[in-house]
Amino acid sequence: MLKRLDRSDLEKLLSALATGYRLLTPQRLADGTRLLRPHGEGALALQGEPVQRKPTEAFFPQHDPLLRIGEQGEVTTCDPPVRPVALFGLNAADLGCIAFIDRFFADPPADDHYLARRKDALLVGLTGFSGPGGDVLPPANGMCDLELLAFGQNWLGVPWTPRGEALLEGFPDGEQAEVEELLESARTRGNPAQDLLEKAAGLVASEVVPDDFWREVGDRCILCSGCNLACPTCTCFCVEDRQEQAVTLRSRVWDSCQFDAFMREASGHNPLGTEALRTRRRIHHKLAADVTRWGEFGCLLCGRCDRVCPTGIGIQAVAAEILARFGP
Amino acid sequence: MSATLTTCPYCGTGCMLYLLSDEQGRLVGVEPSAGHPVSRGQLCVKGWNAHAFVHHPDRLKTPLIRRQGALVPAGWDEALNLVHQRFRQIASAHGPDSLVFFSSAKVGNEENYLLMKLARAGYGTNNVDHCARLCHSSTVTGLVETLGSGAMTNTVACLDETDLVLVIGSNTTEQHPLIGSRILQAVQRGCRLIVADGRRIKLSRHADLHLRHRNGTDVALLNGIMQQILELGLEDRDFINARTENFSALQQSLAAFTPDRVAAITGLQADEIIAAARMLGSAQRAMLFYAMGITQHSHGVDNVRAVSNLALLTGNLGRPGTGVNPLRGQNNVQGACDMGALPDVLTGYQKVADPAMRERFASAWGRPLPERPGLMATHAYDAALADRVRAFLVLGENPLLSEANQAHVAKALARLEFLVVVDIFPTETTAVADVVLPAACYAEKDGTFTSTERRVQRFRRALAPPGEARADWEILSALLERCGISADYTGPSQIMEEIAAVTPSYRGISYPRLEESGLQWPCPDHDHPGTPILHQQNCTRGKGRFSPVDFRPSRELPDAAYPLLLNTGRTGMHWHTGTMTRRSHLLDREEHSAFIEIHPEDAARLSIRDRQQVSVESRRGGVRVMATLTDRVPPGQVFMPFHFVEGAANALTNNALDPESGIPEFKVCGVRITPC
Amino acid sequence: MPPRSSPTKTQSIYAPRPCRLLSVTDLTPQEKLFRLQLNDGSDLGHRPGQFVQVSVPGLTEAPISVASSPDRHGFFDLGIRRAGRLTTALHALQPGAQLGVRGPFGRPFQLETLTGKDLLLIAGGCGLAPLRSLLQYCEDHRNRFGVLHLLYGARSPADLMFKEDLHDWQKGACFNCRVTVDHSPADGCYDGATGLVTGLLDDLDLVPGRTVAVLVGPPPMYRPLLDALEHKGIAKESIMLSLERMMRCGIGKCGHCSIEHLLCCQDGPVFWLPEIEHLRGAL
Repeated sequence: MLKRLDRSDLEKLLSALATGYRLLTPQRLADGTRLLRPHGEGALALQGEPVQRKPTEAFFPQHDPLLRIGEQGEVTTCDPPVRPVALFGLNAADLGCIAFIDRFFADPPADDHYLARRKDALLVGLTGFSGPGGDVLPPANGMCDLELLAFGQNWLGVPWTPRGEALLEGFPDGEQAEVEELLESARTRGNPAQDLLEKAAGLVASEVVPDDFWREVGDRCILCSGCNLACPTCTCFCVEDRQEQAVTLRSRVWDSCQFDAFMREASGHNPLGTEALRTRRRIHHKLAADVTRWGEFGCLLCGRCDRVCPTGIGIQAVAAEILARFGP
Repeated sequence: MSATLTTCPYCGTGCMLYLLSDEQGRLVGVEPSAGHPVSRGQLCVKGWNAHAFVHHPDRLKTPLIRRQGALVPAGWDEALNLVHQRFRQIASAHGPDSLVFFSSAKVGNEENYLLMKLARAGYGTNNVDHCARLCHSSTVTGLVETLGSGAMTNTVACLDETDLVLVIGSNTTEQHPLIGSRILQAVQRGCRLIVADGRRIKLSRHADLHLRHRNGTDVALLNGIMQQILELGLEDRDFINARTENFSALQQSLAAFTPDRVAAITGLQADEIIAAARMLGSAQRAMLFYAMGITQHSHGVDNVRAVSNLALLTGNLGRPGTGVNPLRGQNNVQGACDMGALPDVLTGYQKVADPAMRERFASAWGRPLPERPGLMATHAYDAALADRVRAFLVLGENPLLSEANQAHVAKALARLEFLVVVDIFPTETTAVADVVLPAACYAEKDGTFTSTERRVQRFRRALAPPGEARADWEILSALLERCGISADYTGPSQIMEEIAAVTPSYRGISYPRLEESGLQWPCPDHDHPGTPILHQQNCTRGKGRFSPVDFRPSRELPDAAYPLLLNTGRTGMHWHTGTMTRRSHLLDREEHSAFIEIHPEDAARLSIRDRQQVSVESRRGGVRVMATLTDRVPPGQVFMPFHFVEGAANALTNNALDPESGIPEFKVCGVRITPC
Repeated sequence: MPPRSSPTKTQSIYAPRPCRLLSVTDLTPQEKLFRLQLNDGSDLGHRPGQFVQVSVPGLTEAPISVASSPDRHGFFDLGIRRAGRLTTALHALQPGAQLGVRGPFGRPFQLETLTGKDLLLIAGGCGLAPLRSLLQYCEDHRNRFGVLHLLYGARSPADLMFKEDLHDWQKGACFNCRVTVDHSPADGCYDGATGLVTGLLDDLDLVPGRTVAVLVGPPPMYRPLLDALEHKGIAKESIMLSLERMMRCGIGKCGHCSIEHLLCCQDGPVFWLPEIEHLRGAL
């Protein structure tokens, strides 16, 4: 069941979403930052680079209250907002990232706190000619409730779940043929970044990358932690307690494996006690450890760590350097 | 759920970020501004955690008044009336100059302006100063003399087009991380880098040349480099002829600084000095960066003069990719200086000693102004001990931990008749105050900060202050009103209009023009686009002046009794006295206790193990801290950050002051260490 | 406004269960034994080698191994060294204090594979606390095992944990128990062996094919001990060890205890040597 939506259909769809959900849509703010914001707050920015902040934030926020402990030790959990969220305008990489951490948090023992936020949320992919300057983005092929492939002034609506199907009901039918050019364009482009990542991953996994290399990269790190905070598949967190009037608010907070204290034990012992080890961990974890544990890369090439890194040592930059120096 | 574009409250780099809040209005995170010319979608670790302290339960939420020895909650009117009455009483009994006003490099321009207006017009004293006294007073004194303006001459973006960077006395990747990283990017595109720093700081790992000269020998080093530039004929004759004066005096002064003599003073090899001279002399465009390693000496002004001489000698001024670039430490230390929160100048460095300047302000404010320049903050403690000063108002500072020679400061504060502290958290200083006024933090009010590159930019209110806390400008307005000066400002925007009217370099600045990434001063009229690069045609003072300097050793060098040289400073994780960062979970976790860096050779000699508790003593005090064994420091030198009250570096430091700028010698004193 | 909260309907995996401190005993100058009971009176339901997250409001949580056998009912023991802020706060608690625990978490000692085997149980320092859960289990089910060797090394006589238990184990028939200290003070009160725990292996009679070694100790202990075991002919497949990491959640989510692709809190803390010896940073 494919649908063809024009601009007014799109507006109708957004209104429908906004009635049932806390709808977030991509908007460009005054300084040029493109973020997912409450729908209607600003003008839609339907084309552009990936939204700057990782969309997984909707389910795993930077500062996330878990529970309260009362004076007598009684525990009350902090529940998610009543209205589920709808994220509109996700590209394939970001949908892949959400799928990645969905599986991570659902893996037994499941993280009920994450699942409570995620349970009724709705994901809308936005692909096709909706990249920067109208550049083509590869189709998501699932991982969302419905996908909109932008072409010309229109969108081809592809439902991937019954909820997506219900939302698309009533719109005019569309044809796969209308997006042939788009699909062909995405196909012929290939994915050079993916090839690079795979080759670099092979080198990392086979331990041909020497510790000196990790030290060199670590020397360039200014320890901002931005790579981890920007990464949609980074799920590490620390726990923070705050006490006010004998009530303790326990929250989880995004953490970074680039911190010395990330693994440092109270005794001072630290399995990740050098910059070189921490830098290796950051890359190895995504390109090798995740592959062993989950069967796929922990990097979906969203590009955020490369964009946010002040010294140019995001994962794609490091992968390129690994390939250049240790590749065939 | 909101996203509020604002300016980072930590260092002077001036990154912009979004404060993100949830449906309940609580701050939940930070996202860098993509379009800002300095942050460019990136932040440092403190920026990423800029939201983290805001909701901390320790926040001050109500005014406190000391009663029977204890600070107890009080109403705003009661507290403000008490402050005003006591100030009036003390001023009428002992003269207005018995009051001292400490402004703050953490608060906005508008608030600094109001505080200096309160001191001068409200209570009739020029005793107003702030922590620039402790960081860049040497710069302001030195560069005003040589160039006519005490600010960074160029702009951060100039790093994209320079050929050589000299970093002397600045741990840039930790203290101005988004400038440090820009230097690293420049190096990656082929720019050359000289780092002059005794410590093996991160930048030094990327340097073409790392000069590990002894702390306190910068004048000798810089003179030695300039002597060799002349020897090699690498000076910029055209620039010297066209743009400078007093060159022959410089030339004569340098003759004695031969490589061998300089090597003996600095501990460097003669060929290192020659290599530096070659690199600096042959670069088409070189940027000179410095910070506290240059300024915080008893000869801090001389150090600054030497840096300025080097820039003039090589013609590195007034062009893209060049310049004398002092890195200002705090988010608004540039602005606090610009606003005249200094004892000798009004806004825009208009001298109080100049009757025409005084008249401009007197007529704008409707009050006569005191003529005599006031006390420097660092002199105020001696004045308090001598009963020449009897009351302090401290706005958002914690001098009990940040000033050199803690015991001396504690004694002076205890001697005061009346101490008022305005702050966002309880500090060591609020603990000894008579009145504590709770302030809104940067996230809870509007205003402007001026960054190190003279960029005036907005910070914006993202949430309401906790409890009864008020914005500093509201507190100061209330005191101005009590002094009979109308201060019914509708908000900081209106205060900025007043500032612009009396300040030539800010005349073209108004809130509507600051919406996106601000304006760099001087901005003399409403159509002026701002000035990224100073001194382009002429220096602010006309000709650039060579100001020859001779080498003077630090006031207290290691000796038999205190054999190690103590260097002090900051770390990348913490901010000054830790009021905010030690209440930010991740930053506090990363570094949660006081430590001292000590070279393994020294440690071995003293039988000190890594992570062991040691006692560190100077002639002024002693502390217990954890030893960190590292070759970041050279043998014979130890380093301590001053963030930690439980191991306060400033219990040890020497309050020997530079005679001109009044800056203490934070970077050099003698200590001894014994294992506990 | 705080985030909206409501009484817990189904217990969150992050919610501590309330428990009461029954008693506190000094073990060494740095270590105390805490005996706890869940407020609802139920057993913790752990297996030897598992750990709990102990919650102290204001100071978050710390992972602590259970030091008692599941077959000792009505309470569970935790042996805790004073090292950081949270453990310092615990050391200040008096009996009757309320605490919270989550768990038990992690993969225990695999008792089924130990059944019928000679066990070489080796602990270093405060590693005796986690091992004690297995030692008590062995005592309670003595007939399930062959010869039981127990080797324990501490820094000094004062650092020996569970001195009463050690006395019983040394006197009793259950274990062939040997104890050593790195350094013995000159005061002469200590008359036992000195030297590293590896030294206790030298003249130990082992039947390699029948023996499973179980190791619990501080990180620096493992390498030399593994070399010594290899020397004694113990196959890697017969060596089990418990690793210590800074687990924050206990359920494989927070990431702080990862060792390459493994998560110490879920895949461990007890591992067979071949599972981890090739992983960077494991040992």
